[in-house]
Amino acid sequence: MLIRSPKSWELPESAATPEADYAQRPRSDAGPARRDFLKTLGLGLAATSLLPPALRAATAGFPAKVNRAYRDPELKPTPYELITSYNNFYEFGTDKSDPVEAANKGWKTEPWTVELAGLCRNPAKIDVNDLIAKVGGLEQRVYRFRCVEAWSMVIPWDGFPLAKLVALADPTEDAKYVKFTTVLDPKNIPGQRTGTLDWPYVEGLRLDEARHDLAFIATGIYGRAIPNQNGAPLRLVVPWKYGFKGIKSIVKVEFVAKQPRNTWNVMAAREYGFFANVNPKVDHPRWSQASERVIGAGGALGRRQRTLMFNGYEKEVAALYQGMDLAKFY
Amino acid sequence: MPPTPATPSALARLLQRKPVVWTLLVLPGLWPAWPIFVTRNPSVLADPLKFILHHLGFVACVVLVTVLTFTPLRVLFPHAPLVQALNRHRRLVGVAAAAYAALHFATHLLYEGGTDVAFLPAILATAVEKPFQLTGLIAFVILLVLAVTSPHAILRRLGARRWKFIHRFVYLAAALVAYHQISARKVFPVQVLWIFVPLLALELARIVTSLRRSAGSSR
Repeated sequence: MLIRSPKSWELPESAATPEADYAQRPRSDAGPARRDFLKTLGLGLAATSLLPPALRAATAGFPAKVNRAYRDPELKPTPYELITSYNNFYEFGTDKSDPVEAANKGWKTEPWTVELAGLCRNPAKIDVNDLIAKVGGLEQRVYRFRCVEAWSMVIPWDGFPLAKLVALADPTEDAKYVKFTTVLDPKNIPGQRTGTLDWPYVEGLRLDEARHDLAFIATGIYGRAIPNQNGAPLRLVVPWKYGFKGIKSIVKVEFVAKQPRNTWNVMAAREYGFFANVNPKVDHPRWSQASERVIGAGGALGRRQRTLMFNGYEKEVAALYQGMDLAKFY
Repeated sequence: MPPTPATPSALARLLQRKPVVWTLLVLPGLWPAWPIFVTRNPSVLADPLKFILHHLGFVACVVLVTVLTFTPLRVLFPHAPLVQALNRHRRLVGVAAAAYAALHFATHLLYEGGTDVAFLPAILATAVEKPFQLTGLIAFVILLVLAVTSPHAILRRLGARRWKFIHRFVYLAAALVAYHQISARKVFPVQVLWIFVPLLALELARIVTSLRRSAGSSR
């Protein structure tokens, strides 16, 4: 059972910094990402002078308040530059170097409307910045990120718990799953003009997973609006599952009775399941999942570390899967 | 009437020379240095060893397919100086394919286990149980055997028939490599087509030509 305690970061909208002021704030000058990160934590600011100007996406709610409950001092965040240039976003190409280029060539992520639909009492179409205000602003959480391809990062996300969005939509008793859909815009999204995957990208969670406090909607990274290549203006982050569950650039959140077929499962059911929980004991058909490469760590040869059950969130989420055969429901 | 031998073009003359071929074989292996050290591409720097791993596999594959085109080209264009020049270097290019496969495999061991040999058994166990990895491993072993048995002294010791039988396994290696490359990605990599389709076309043309010639000579 989860006991909800009032959160220190729940701010009224009036407390959010206006965009103009935010832009005026002093920037830290060039320095290693780690220092930027400490600044982010300390001041709610990230160094942006180093970064190329990106299209702004969801701009409301910054600076996000740091949530200290999700700040494991053991976790060393991956440099911003790597988080934002090593992406699997097949809508913009199948190489991890593609999205940073292709997603910033005129694809607009502002303005952006999200639709809440299906078996819920409050269906709505809502602007992403209004949504941020409605759920009470942003907080920053530092999460492990584990890709199904056996590499990992540590990412300081800015966003809000998915549970708040679920509460806003207020699903009926018939709703058992949440289905998420990515934007479909072949005119401006080059990958969607090819048949690489079955567009638009679809993902899903069981309703109890979606309500879990760790499930997160991210609208920022390192205290700035999330870049296009990382799924602007809002994406899902489910830190105990493989990265492909973290659907990007969401336009629709639907409450449904039946388990949705997620895109990678449609593509290759044997390789990608619905649950996709990080599990060192359940291999991918083509490689072992027992360990992972740590992106941007360990110098020339890099570093490999053991993969943790549920990506290190076993204590928090194991109860969701009690009695389930995780090798069968992979 | 036999066609008059053509005068070799500048390219053919260049390709007759061993140092030129050596250079052409070594350069692709050095390519990863560019994004890592010169342009400092962050997408590559995120996991440079993975980039090197994939690149070496790709080069091994391309060099293998390249050497496999030499025989069908010789059957189809026996008098072309360029084809003759290429066929002077069959063994060198074949051994280079094996060398790149060895570098690719060594990088895989490094990528999976670092410099700690304690991980070797686990890495090999995984390789044996995953078809994607096993196909690459078998192809590598085949190329290794062919490289070791490539000197003339060994050909003489084995005899032409046995030697030829062993070296025909290169076609199995190529098929395994094609599968290995296809399954290396989450979605079908188109590059596999533009590497292997020209080879298949050449082999088909070669078979047709050989059949025609044997039919012509038996009449």
